[in-house]
Order: sequence, then structure tokens, then C-alpha cells
Amino acid sequence: MAAAAAAEAEAAGAAPDYEAAELYTRAFRVGALGRCWMQHLGPPDLSLAAEAAADEDAAIVAELGCEVEMVPELQEVCSIDMLMSSDKEEDPDVIPEDNSLLTLRIRKEALERREETIIVDRACRQETLAYEMESHASGKRPDSPTDLVEEGELLLTLNIFYPVIFQKHKDYKPYQTVLVLGSQKLTELRDSISCVSDFQIGGEFSCQPDQAPEHVSKDLYKSAFFYFEGIFYNDKRYPECRDLSRTVIEWSESHDRGYVNLQSDDMEDYTFNDLSLKIGFPYLFCHQGDCEHIIIITDIRLIHYDDCLDRNLYPLLIKKHWLCTRKCFVCKMYTARWVTNNDSLAPEDPCFFCDVCFQMLHYDLEGNKLGEFLAYPYVDPGIFN
Amino acid sequence: MRGKAAQARWGGGVWRRGGRMSSVPGLQVDCEELLGAFQEADTVRFERFAELWRERRFHTIFYGRIRALERNKLTKKTLEVAQQYFLPPYAFQIRVGALYLLYGLYSTQLCQPKQKIRIALKDWPEIHKFQQDLINSQHYDAAYIFRALRLARAFHFTAMPKLLNYRTKKKIQENEFKEEFKEPSNRVNSLITNDVLEELMNIHDHYQKMKCVISADKSQPDKALSLIKDDFVATLKDITLEHQEWQQNRMKLFLNAKETDEMLNKKEQGNLLESEGSERANALARIKYKSYSAVVEASKSRRHRQVKLESSESGSNYGKSPSRSKKASRRPQLARKRDSLGIKGEMQVAKETVTQHIGMPVITEENSDEEEVSLPKRKRRC
Repeated sequence: MAAAAAAEAEAAGAAPDYEAAELYTRAFRVGALGRCWMQHLGPPDLSLAAEAAADEDAAIVAELGCEVEMVPELQEVCSIDMLMSSDKEEDPDVIPEDNSLLTLRIRKEALERREETIIVDRACRQETLAYEMESHASGKRPDSPTDLVEEGELLLTLNIFYPVIFQKHKDYKPYQTVLVLGSQKLTELRDSISCVSDFQIGGEFSCQPDQAPEHVSKDLYKSAFFYFEGIFYNDKRYPECRDLSRTVIEWSESHDRGYVNLQSDDMEDYTFNDLSLKIGFPYLFCHQGDCEHIIIITDIRLIHYDDCLDRNLYPLLIKKHWLCTRKCFVCKMYTARWVTNNDSLAPEDPCFFCDVCFQMLHYDLEGNKLGEFLAYPYVDPGIFN
Repeated sequence: MRGKAAQARWGGGVWRRGGRMSSVPGLQVDCEELLGAFQEADTVRFERFAELWRERRFHTIFYGRIRALERNKLTKKTLEVAQQYFLPPYAFQIRVGALYLLYGLYSTQLCQPKQKIRIALKDWPEIHKFQQDLINSQHYDAAYIFRALRLARAFHFTAMPKLLNYRTKKKIQENEFKEEFKEPSNRVNSLITNDVLEELMNIHDHYQKMKCVISADKSQPDKALSLIKDDFVATLKDITLEHQEWQQNRMKLFLNAKETDEMLNKKEQGNLLESEGSERANALARIKYKSYSAVVEASKSRRHRQVKLESSESGSNYGKSPSRSKKASRRPQLARKRDSLGIKGEMQVAKETVTQHIGMPVITEENSDEEEVSLPKRKRRC
């Protein structure tokens, strides 16, 4: 149904618009947006080539319809130097004294107040990291020209939320932000989403701690689906993949739940350009049976010269929430790798240990188990930091 | 203490004060002040804008000790604030000013790489039209600057103006537009556009031909069929133009009054208002006279047929004459649209008569739809 509406919109050449003002848009075909922009824009707007189109006088005359003699004058009058006061060299870090701008007066006040209260004036680790993540790939070019992103390619910005329900995230749900290309398959995004539930190791290993991390759940349970606009896109690339959406569809059909016409399809057959979507609307990614991530497409735009143009680097992670790591109870330094229950040697239940401390405390030199306890491998949500 | 420092380090907490629409406090005020001065200068020349920009040393807007992450955010917001003036409903001159402002802000920003100006697909037709207008009216400086921005790849061509993340705001901000910058709303002009005039011209021609066909003398319509002025399209155009002129004069007077309000004492101001009042009265009188004379001119001999007309036409039909032209009935929109516009004050009355003057009579025979539409109207009138 949504697809039909989107097709209609495409036929009318309609631009996406709000369904709920400032909140989310109507559903539209992603690929159509790209085609629409391509119709409106010319090569200089779309160009990703290093050299900006040569700004020839003839071109100016042709486009503006002015006299040739006017061109040098235009260039001079409209030059950006016209906006700069010529007098002195300035330091952009210093707000000039004699300014008439309200913005600057407020900013100056704020900066002065900051100066008084602050102890250490430098960027904290999180801020440095956030900036690094945001900008590390900008302007990157691939080694081989075949990996170059094509002109007119669409770039989608996705917020992928962590399935955390801690009290402290009651108001603000942590998420990561990824850029994907319109021509990429859904499976490429699926493979790039990192989640601790993929790395869980099932079982109790207090008797053979060395043999534990063989199979993580990612290798065992490969099924997953995306849910966009009434369609479940199931990962069916491997024979052992199951149709996780079947339960939901059957549930909705068995009673009159108010959801009509839920469909399922194969994830590997679709690129983002093929989808019809609402920007700003919450969708779902589900894997490991019940690990559910809300996904919101916050933006779609044409690729730009300053973007990363190496196709291989997409999906590109540009923002990640910094999750607190649980430290080893003994050394208080390393991230926990083990968690124990009913541990006769530990002061807490459950108790967390790093690999080294865990081995030293619970086993003798021959590797024999000391005391009574149950040990489980622990995967910290902060390991992706 | 630590918490406080952390907040200050992140910057956000301190800077979020004030600011009507953006989280860059004061920025909107500064932009509006600059654009206001540009508007006052009554020009669209970049030279003049650059002067005003230099006077204010506007490029320093990005100055201050800000770290890269914060600077990126700040610049994005700054461009967003400036961009809103680039789109309707703002007047042409303000939009040109906004273009220059964007050009200045984009070029003087301190980010590396530069932050881009977002353009949504739904706004593009407006912008494209704006560019055509610039070229057609030979504002070469503005057209050149827009072209330069495009060549500098200053734009992100997006689906929507902002990033959307489904966060319901606690307080939905009213998008308030600065009244002074807006195009003076002109419902007469929006009703009588060039397209409408052309359409009217066509209909009129057709009507004229039809009359010829049914007349005895095939080259010229019967005298009895002469129910409408031959040059009514031209007359209509003149009237609209006159109205527009009047409105502009009034606007100017209004602005003047506002200005003097701040500068002069009450007495002088009183005088001015008075003169404005009399100006207005004169204009109204002129319009009234016009509309009444138009009515009188309409064929008196046909007044007895008005009864019939009422079934199809709403409002006050002074001297409207019916016509047997089938073509007219194909455009019932015109008539209905007019109905939907409420009558507010004499201004509207004047307009009403103006439109009545051109309104194509709608044939009721064999057209039950039309009958239905106008039925309640008749009831009310009786």
C-alpha cells in the first residue's frame, strides 16, 4: 500500500514533504528522490571531480546573459574580499572589542564565565573522539578508481539505537549514526551493525575456562530482519537462517490486531534505493531473536565532493555513544571478561573479572578449579568504544 | 565543581540561553538587523550589502575560542538561520539580501572543510524561479553570486530542510516570520495573475466569436448581445495595477509613520497619521467611485434578468449579464473561489466588484451541479 502511494508520488514528481510537521515525512521511494534531484541539477552541481568546473568568462556570459565587458567588473564587485575589512590581521580566537553584534557580546560573556569556572581547558576525550569520528573520513578517496562513489549517489544518515533500557537512559536513548549509500544492500548495513548480543557466548565454563570463546552467537544464529513500511526484510543468505518475521506476521493475522497486509521479503534483494521510507520515522532492526534496535533515517541527500568517496568505507560510522565499561573487580583497570555467580571467593554476586585476575584467583598453577563458583564469559557493551 | 566544568567544556549548556529559534543566541537579531538595514537601503546591489556587512564587521560572527566540534555545530546553525530568509514568504529584496548573507557566511566560516547550506527538494523550484527572476531582471551581481555558490559546491541537496529524528519537542516553536520582511500580501494580485488574465482573454475571444456565430451578421455580434465591455480584460489589468500602487504607497506611508513614531514627538506623529488617514480615505473614495461607476455602466436594460442570474452567481450582482456561452460553465472554480473569500472592509468590497466585473457568468441550464452549489446562497439572500 505504502509502495503504491510512493509510486504515485513518484509519478507526480512530488518532493517529499512532512506527514507530521517537523517530525517525519510521507513515505516516498528513496531512488526517486535521487532521480528528481538529477533532473533539476546540472553537471557542475553534481560533479565529484577534483577540479571545479573552470569558471570561464564565456560561461558566465552564457548563463547570466550579460555583456562580456561586465564579467571582470562582476568578479571584482562580488569578490569575497569586499566583505572583509582590510585594516588589520585578526586572530579568529579573539572576539574583537569594538563589535556591534549581539551574538558576539553574548558569546564573549559566556566564554568569560567559562574562563572563571573551568579548571582544565582542553577538549575531553569524548569530545575529541566525537570530532574524530565525525570528520575522519571526510574527503577520503579510494585507491582504485573502481571504488569511487558515483555522481548522483544518495547518502542516507541512519540513527541506530541501542536496545538499552537502563534507568539512566530514560530520557536519552543512546545511538550510533551511520552513513550508507543508496545503492548499498540492506545486508551491508546489517553486517556493519555491531551489537554485544552478537558476541555473547552461551554456557557455563568454570571447569574449562580456556575452551570457552569458540562460538559467539553471531555465528550460531544468523537470522535477522529489518522492518520498513509494513515489510519485513529477512536475512536469508545462509541456509540456517530462519524467518524471524513469521511469528509476528502470524500473530498479527491470528487476531484482528489492526495491522493489515504485513509482508516479508528477502533482505539481500533490496538496496536502499528500492525502499520506500519516511524520513524521521522509527523502524526496526531485530537480530538474535529478540535484540531489537530502533532505526531512524534522519536524512537523505546527494553525495557531495567533501564526503568520503571510497565506496568500501560505507556503511560509515560517524557517531557512537560512549558506553561505560564494567571494570574488573580486582584490578579495577581492565574491562571485565568474566562474570561469576555463587562465587565462594568473591565478595559480590554477580562479580566481574578481567581474564588475568579471573585465572589467578580461581585456579591454581595447574589449572585446577579452586572453590565453588559458576563462571560465564561476559561481553561488555563498551567493547566497541 | 567537576560537573560544572564538564558542562562548560561541552559548551552546550552555556550557549543555549536565549535565541528565539536557533541555539545561537543573538544571531537572529543580528541577521535581521543587517537585512533590515539592507531593506532600508532600498536596493539589491551587492556593493551596498558589502558596505553594510563591513560596517558591522559581520565576518567576526564566527570568532571566539571554540573547538572544532562546537564550531561545526555552530556554523551549521548559523547557515540554517540565514537560509530561512532566502525562501518565501519573504520579499524579493530580503531574499536577495539573504543570498548575499549566505554567501558571506559560507565564505567567511572557519570550518575545514566548510559546512554546507542545505537545500530541500521541495524548496528547489522556488529557488530556481528566484534565480530566473534574477537573470531576467538583470540583477547580474546576485545571479553571479548564486552561480558562484553553486560552483563552489556550497550546497547539500537534501530530501528535507532539517534532520529529522522523531524527537517530539516539548514546546513546538511557532515559526514566526518577521512581518516587515514579508512580501506585502496582496490577494488581488494572487487572484488576478497573468495566467488568469490570459485565460480571460481567451474566454472573451471565444465568447465574442460565439456571439458572431449566432448573430445575423456573422462578422459582428448583434447589438442585443453586447452585454460586456469589449476591453474589459485591459480595464481589469489597469485596475489591479492601480490597486497595487495604492497598496505600496500605503505601505510606505505606514513604514514612515512607524519610523517617525520612534523619532518624533506625539504631535508631529499625529499630523502624519492624519495625512495617512486622509490618503486612505481618498484612495477608498476613488475605488468606490470606480466600482460604482462600473456598475452603472453595466447595461441597465438587462437588470430584469438578474433574477435568473442569482441562481448561478453569488454575492451582489449589480449589472451582470447572463450569457449562453457553454464554455464559461467549464470554469466554475473561478466563481466558487471568489465566494470563499470573505468580505472584510471596503477594500474587499472594491475587489469584489472588480472581480464581479470579470466573473464569467455560470450557466445554470442543464447543469445541476452548479445549481446545488449556489442553492444555499439563494436561500440566505431571500
